[in-house]
Amino acid sequence: MSAQVARSRAAWLALALIAIVALAVGVSRTGGARTPEERIDAVARTIRCPVCPAESVYESRNSVALNVKAEIARLIRSGQTDDQIRAGLAARYGDDVLLVPSTRGIDALVWVLPVALLVACVAGLVVAFRRWRRASDVGPPTEADRALVARALRPDSGSDP
Amino acid sequence: MNGALGMAGIALGLAASVLGGVTLVVGLAKHRLRLVRSGTVYVWLVLAGAVLAVIAMERALITRDFSLSYVAEVGSSRTPALYNVASLWSALDGSILLWTIILALYLAATLLWFRRRLSDPLVTWALVVLFAISTFFFLLLAGPANPFGAVSGAIPLDGPGPNPLLQNHPLMVIHPPMLYLGYVGFSVPFAFAIGGLITGRVGEGWLLDTRRWTLFAWGFLSAGIVLGAWWSYEVLGWGGVWGWDPVENASLLPWLTGTAFIHSVLVQERRGMLRVWNLSLLAATFCLTILGTFLTRSGVIESVHAFSDGPIGVYLLMFFALAAGTSIGLIGWRGDRLRSPGSIDSPLSREGAFLANNVLFALFAFVVLLGTVFPLVVEALQDRRLSVGRPFFDRMTTPLGLALLTLMAIAPVLPWRKASAELLRHRLFWPACLGVACVVVPVLLGADGLAPLLAFGLGGFAAGSALRQLVLATRRQGWRGLVGRANGGMVVHVGVIIIAVALAAQTSYQRSGEFRLSPGETATFGGHRFTLLDQVREDTPAAVVLKARIRIDDGPVHAPARQQFKGRGDIVATPSVRTGLAEDVYLTLLKPSTEDDARVTFGVRLMPLSLWLWTGGALMAVGTVLAAFPGRRRRPTDPASAPIMSRPADEVAARQDEAEADLVAVPRLGGADV
Amino acid sequence: MSEVLDPPPPAAAEAPRRPARPARAIAIGVAVLVALFIVIAAAVKGGVKETAETPLLGLPAPVVQTTTIDGSPFDLASRRGSWVVLNFFSTWCRPCVEEHPELVRFAAAEAARPEGAELYSVIFNDDTDKVESFFADRGGAWPKLTDPDGQVQVAFGVAKSPETWIIDPAGVVRARMISTVTDESLTELLDGLRSGLVPGS
Repeated sequence: MSAQVARSRAAWLALALIAIVALAVGVSRTGGARTPEERIDAVARTIRCPVCPAESVYESRNSVALNVKAEIARLIRSGQTDDQIRAGLAARYGDDVLLVPSTRGIDALVWVLPVALLVACVAGLVVAFRRWRRASDVGPPTEADRALVARALRPDSGSDP
Repeated sequence: MNGALGMAGIALGLAASVLGGVTLVVGLAKHRLRLVRSGTVYVWLVLAGAVLAVIAMERALITRDFSLSYVAEVGSSRTPALYNVASLWSALDGSILLWTIILALYLAATLLWFRRRLSDPLVTWALVVLFAISTFFFLLLAGPANPFGAVSGAIPLDGPGPNPLLQNHPLMVIHPPMLYLGYVGFSVPFAFAIGGLITGRVGEGWLLDTRRWTLFAWGFLSAGIVLGAWWSYEVLGWGGVWGWDPVENASLLPWLTGTAFIHSVLVQERRGMLRVWNLSLLAATFCLTILGTFLTRSGVIESVHAFSDGPIGVYLLMFFALAAGTSIGLIGWRGDRLRSPGSIDSPLSREGAFLANNVLFALFAFVVLLGTVFPLVVEALQDRRLSVGRPFFDRMTTPLGLALLTLMAIAPVLPWRKASAELLRHRLFWPACLGVACVVVPVLLGADGLAPLLAFGLGGFAAGSALRQLVLATRRQGWRGLVGRANGGMVVHVGVIIIAVALAAQTSYQRSGEFRLSPGETATFGGHRFTLLDQVREDTPAAVVLKARIRIDDGPVHAPARQQFKGRGDIVATPSVRTGLAEDVYLTLLKPSTEDDARVTFGVRLMPLSLWLWTGGALMAVGTVLAAFPGRRRRPTDPASAPIMSRPADEVAARQDEAEADLVAVPRLGGADV
Repeated sequence: MSEVLDPPPPAAAEAPRRPARPARAIAIGVAVLVALFIVIAAAVKGGVKETAETPLLGLPAPVVQTTTIDGSPFDLASRRGSWVVLNFFSTWCRPCVEEHPELVRFAAAEAARPEGAELYSVIFNDDTDKVESFFADRGGAWPKLTDPDGQVQVAFGVAKSPETWIIDPAGVVRARMISTVTDESLTELLDGLRSGLVPGS
């Protein structure tokens, strides 16, 4: 291993260290208890506005959405957990106010299928690369190969391969 | 008069599409070139029909001919001229008309471009496919989406005007045509793909023919999507640019598969592999544009942008079935014979990276499609409603986006065939430094959260990689180092990276607050001071506008507004945005003052890096044009790994292999590729 | 898998291998999926579906503590012992305005009978002034309940007006009707509930 390679390895190591430290510092800042306002926003983002499709109550300015958001704030003040609030709203407005599909029953498919496809794609690529590698190293030359080469060499073969 | 003119145009277009298609098929079947040549005359008749219909509709809109139901629906004497012209595409029927004229233009352009090659059955079949598509759209115009229907009952004296959201920002004038130029543009490569499957010629010939068409369609679609996001930001007032709404997803799906194609087509050009896969991607892209149109125009899926529901859904679904059935059938029939025997030596190579790119884009498209149609599936199976919303899409696409950024960092420096770890260490060093800097600086400035920091770091890494290629190429070739596919592509990469970073920042760091002030009072939020000056009322011909004048940081005055449109009575809130390099201050008027209560309620959102989104979009557009600009390229007859002297000028990376050969030992294989 | 694990066969043996047809197999698979999807898309009607189902049916009604439009306090729990009909109402919703005469008739008929149901209007996202003048113009002397912050509507999960709910003397939710009602349909349902014939709609 040349000195150049060693230097480059050391530089990469230093880069990786700096990156990890910076990420760790950044991530550690997110810890700690969330403020009630943050919780209200977080829950509101996962609840669909009951009258406006595909918009959350966090985004919507509809009066019904504002009322639901006020209810979320009340429930958070009264000490309910985020999941309890979501379950309560779903019980009243129907399950389709939840913007995040559940992981139970058939709903879980929406989470599982993409992962399954990823696994299938990676497996397919692994198999393909193995096959390609096998195709490229053909093993030791056989008698037939030698004969072929010998035949090809017999006439004046001045041209480049 | 206008109605008759328009119907005549539609009838002409329909007849010409059918006759053109039939003539060409007969000419192909009987091998009569003269018949084929005469069939192309119908292309001009199709165009004439579409132009006539559009002129008739514009004339009706401009002269306010309320005897047409479409004009009575979207026209109004109060609409300003610009939006009046644009109201051609402000409702369902008109948007189909826009689609049709763009298709007719593409059909004519295809004929012009390939006029010297009409004897080639591939070109003829492609024209047949385009005729078939235009037949369908003219049928829609003649039947379920006829914009020239007469109004029932007495002719109204005035109409409500277009949807207010579509008439208060100039972006709405250019966003839909851009988007449609993209959607419809994919018809041309699709037609060639089908032609290639029918004639059995899926060698590299048709690819070279249509690559630039694909690129243009992709560029228009990208521009259309970014403009749509910008419009939603400037007009809708919810402060976002992307909501994972079905209509938005419908435009993203063909973009994702189209992007996958643009990358994997390079593997086919270079190595002759992935032929069937590339055909499938093109077919999927086209089918997804039709599927998206079906999903958003038929009312099966609820959407914020609900366009309309009507009888058109069934037709679009049937056409989707036809397009998908034909493509899948042809691929199943021909696919195995057309596969090429090539192989990829190493996953750590340019072609390996393109494969990974395709896997990621295919997955991305699958996630978006699944999330969009999953509620339909559950409803059909269990008669139960559920929503798949933004949190799902955010959660699923964040890792995919980060993986794509990683790939964008590594792939551009990879040589074809095989790379070594040492080569990567050498070439990626400065990009990695930039990436680390892009984590460290935000952290020093107080940024937090894993996903956004990773996005910044990987974005910097990827941008470094793209810039490295551009710098090396311009150093070597001067201004030519910016044009051509590889270099223009790197400019596009930089644009995409900027957008990705901005989206990550917006998702994580956006803050919002709500204030209720009397005139003269001041509130502070996020380091800004907001002073409510007063509320003013303006009467425009189309609407009554209430504006709250708010001074930001003792500087400029901004006036978020509420417009009550006179025709429809709809109330639309128009935000006012103070644009900044690092952060936009986004004001919305939530509750105007009344006679009893002088207080005004307004919302403030601090949106980081919004400007970056539009900048990134502009860079993508510039990069697409640069990429389409012909660089000095390899003659197509040259073998892919021909000696260095004939290496293409735009394949800079390939030449860098040589330039850096003294630094690293890269196995360089000669011989036949394919 | 065995294919991969086997030692690589000599090159000559590769040629006559059973022709694999992956493209055809995959095409058939995709075709099946697309066909399924088309069937589903054609079957689903779409649009907003309104069901009168509510998980609250058969359960004690949510707490309703508010004031009437003229300021006197109202507590739903204190109405135990009589049938209560809650009508969510706003002046800006056309179906609400359309059904109003029916409610006037219904209220008069119930008031006339012994142990008749009590009708209350819950103001749904509307100004009290407007509601007051509406009732002054069009009649209807029953109490109008204010709903600041929409607490009552959220408690019942009401997204759109009009909606009509029936609560029995035990304070249990017995029926929910979405969109307009008529005097006849409301009376019929209420009579059914009273006689115990209808277990709940």
